[in-house]
Amino acid sequence: MVLWYHNTHIYNKDFQTVSLAFFNRYPNPYASHVLSIDTISRDFSSNGNLSTTRLIRKTGRLPEWVRPFLGGISESWIIEKSEVDSNRKELRTYTRNLDHTRIIQVEEFTTYTYDNDAGVTKASSAVKFSSGFNLAIRNRIEKWSHNRFDENVKRSRMGMAFVMEKLEQRRHPC
Amino acid sequence: MGNVMSASFAPECTELKHEYDNCFNQWYSEKFLKGLSMENECSKQWYAYTTCVESALVKQGIKPALEAAQKEAPFENGGESSESK
Repeated sequence: MVLWYHNTHIYNKDFQTVSLAFFNRYPNPYASHVLSIDTISRDFSSNGNLSTTRLIRKTGRLPEWVRPFLGGISESWIIEKSEVDSNRKELRTYTRNLDHTRIIQVEEFTTYTYDNDAGVTKASSAVKFSSGFNLAIRNRIEKWSHNRFDENVKRSRMGMAFVMEKLEQRRHPC
Repeated sequence: MGNVMSASFAPECTELKHEYDNCFNQWYSEKFLKGLSMENECSKQWYAYTTCVESALVKQGIKPALEAAQKEAPFENGGESSESK
């Protein structure tokens, strides 16, 4: 079974603020489970887009009932890829977990697009949950991940908003 | 930027990471987004930081999975239609 989750959100900010906040979104008070983030590669694609790969380490917050499958594992690695098109004012991002993928794989695609007329940046996300486990446990894992995902989305937006405020204070100190 | 910045997974690289991130943030906002620069002007900071990370990564079990994932091109097929292994 594969589950998809779709979601959109409007940030009342310009593209510079939103995209810079994306690159600087950790640390923030809503992401205390993120331990580190490193840039692994950064270059220009053939069409002039800025292409970045980063490696994120998180502490896992897994439910009791998955622990027997995981043993002592409590951390996970996430790969994040992104592309910035400065002409179209668009940022495309992709993340997925690099380990524990037999238990569950979570892939997130988000596109941030600046709307010139409205002066806002729209974020559209599609998230895919998939698992290689047998059906019973899989349904449980996927349902749990899906439920928790709502909470995560909320927190990651609050984190982005927090970072944006900080960035704007620095740009326009009063 | 200054202020609080995130850590590197390798503590010995965190300082170099901050120097690079500061340079990148400046370049990204003031040059790249304004269409003023199409080259990475932080190459000195980048070289120092990435050399540190590369050697720390060798000691991590995640390296093979990272290298495999780096070859994926998630944006090319529009994401949703992609079937991951």
